Amino acid sequence: MFKQCPAIMKRELFYMWRDKGLRNILLIGPLLGLFLFMGIYSHPRIDHITTAVVDLDQSEASRQVIAELRNTQDLEIACYPENFKQLEELVKRGEVMVGVVIPENYAKNIALQRQTRVAVVIDGANITYATNAASAVLTVTRNLGAQVGVKTLIARGIQPNQAKEAYQSIEFREEAWFNPTLNYAYFLVLALVLNIWQQCCMLASCMNIVGENGVRSWLQIKASGLSAFKLFCSKSIVHISVFMLLVLPVYYLAFVIFKLPLNCGIITFLLFTLIFAVSLHSLGTLISSFSSNAVDASRFGMVIALPSFVISGFTWPIAAMPQWFQPLAWVLPQTWFFQGINYFVLKNPGWEMMNRYFLVLGMMAVLCYSLSALFTHCFQARFR
Amino acid sequence: MEPVIKVSNLVQKIGRQILFNGLSFEVLPGESFGVFGLRGAGKTTLLHILAGVDRFKSGQVEVLGYNIKKSEKFKRDLGLVTQEKSLFLDMTVVENLDFMAALKKSSRSDVYQMIERYALKDLLAEPVILLAMGSFQRLSLACAMLNRPKLLIADEIIKDFDLYSRNLILRELRQFQAEGGTCVFGFSNIDFCEQLSKVGWLENGKLKVYEPESARAEWHRQIKLYAEQSDSHYV
Repeated sequence: MFKQCPAIMKRELFYMWRDKGLRNILLIGPLLGLFLFMGIYSHPRIDHITTAVVDLDQSEASRQVIAELRNTQDLEIACYPENFKQLEELVKRGEVMVGVVIPENYAKNIALQRQTRVAVVIDGANITYATNAASAVLTVTRNLGAQVGVKTLIARGIQPNQAKEAYQSIEFREEAWFNPTLNYAYFLVLALVLNIWQQCCMLASCMNIVGENGVRSWLQIKASGLSAFKLFCSKSIVHISVFMLLVLPVYYLAFVIFKLPLNCGIITFLLFTLIFAVSLHSLGTLISSFSSNAVDASRFGMVIALPSFVISGFTWPIAAMPQWFQPLAWVLPQTWFFQGINYFVLKNPGWEMMNRYFLVLGMMAVLCYSLSALFTHCFQARFR
Repeated sequence: MEPVIKVSNLVQKIGRQILFNGLSFEVLPGESFGVFGLRGAGKTTLLHILAGVDRFKSGQVEVLGYNIKKSEKFKRDLGLVTQEKSLFLDMTVVENLDFMAALKKSSRSDVYQMIERYALKDLLAEPVILLAMGSFQRLSLACAMLNRPKLLIADEIIKDFDLYSRNLILRELRQFQAEGGTCVFGFSNIDFCEQLSKVGWLENGKLKVYEPESARAEWHRQIKLYAEQSDSHYV
């Protein structure tokens, strides 16, 4: 026992190190991802969204609209096309994301207290851009609407103070908790890097059984009388330790160097990462147990690992997914992990809420390892 | 004398094909038993069953006094050399010896002894995958002998490799038998008969046991028979 286990662990570590492809993927993948994503999301929010204004009225009032648009940091007026056709071309070519069309008689209609319509077009081809642009335009139009409303009330003989109060009687104050500046980096970077990490780990886990009994040296292991349990434990301890060692520099860079928020304690977060690593390893082992060779195991593993981030509900809420699909999403350990890191990193809702994440991931690990043992036994009986 | 191997009514199926249809034979201590047969006769499968590597459909197999379906204790005294390269190909010669020694719970001195006996000193740092066939087979036998086995199972141990390795391997096998070791060989070249005390001829799911000379005579008889049949066909 005391000689066999360290020897198996040493060999497993050497194997992972000597396999250049696996080594590079495991070592470089997550770190490269971190630098890449931190660079991409280094600017906390999208601003200076290119905007074109078609001013068909050319009046004092229309120039006031343009001034309001200019005052917002989120929008940047890039050009003034002469008509709607030109604006359409600019949006199609991607030169501007937002188009504002001030109609003819805009000033006259306001003066006559008639309804007038300012058209705002947004390029919806890029959802992130479109959402930010819509939010920025909404802020401007809300201010403008209020100003015009106040002026209208004053024109009808209501005192300026009363007119202002009429518009400010209900104040809706938006306040984003946990990520006050709505910083994309705080929300997305760590999850994206951990997504790369979990894919690499899954790839390595998928070799746990088939990497051994799928090669000729398995005959020597079997002939030696080494117990499958001892072999499995020794290999798995090395795998999970390597997974954790790989994530440590990522966490150091993310939380210490790049100052990403971590509202829970680092020990709690590491424990959560560890239970996920075990759960992920169990899933990889399960895949490995029924795969006929290493290539098949990698394929199955990637089929699960690649879409798991999208399925996890991190970027698109699970509640917005079809009813029938939602239980499937919760079957994957990745869903519990990505949901969990969002809570841990930004909210820290306390142990009472988070203990079920630990419990579920732990139970998944027990189930997957048990099924792996069963499949390995059955498949070996069938193949032999 | 208790047999080292006792096989009773062994049946093995691969899919629907019956590979062994009730094999029964014994191998006594100190014997050198050869399993002979043409390609596909099931030599390797039989040796793998005896080594406890493959499962079987029915029958009873006892190795070193243990029913191999119930116990793996016989593996402590077993050495295995397979037909295909079954050492750890991602490791060097010395790493293979060390790792196999750990698996077989052998001592460091056993490793040094095997390096000496199988002339592996100059190859220790070589990756196993780059070894010439003769050197590889010397290493395979060295690994199999690390636990000082009572029973050696070797499949096609002598192939068309360098004469130095061939002589060294044959010398060590003779030494092993002289010390009371029992061998079971799988072979397909009838000339290997001279190393054996008994030959089990595997054909059509049955095993027939011959004295080595009788096996050689039967082989030549069959060659002559098929040659005559072939000639008459063309006439």
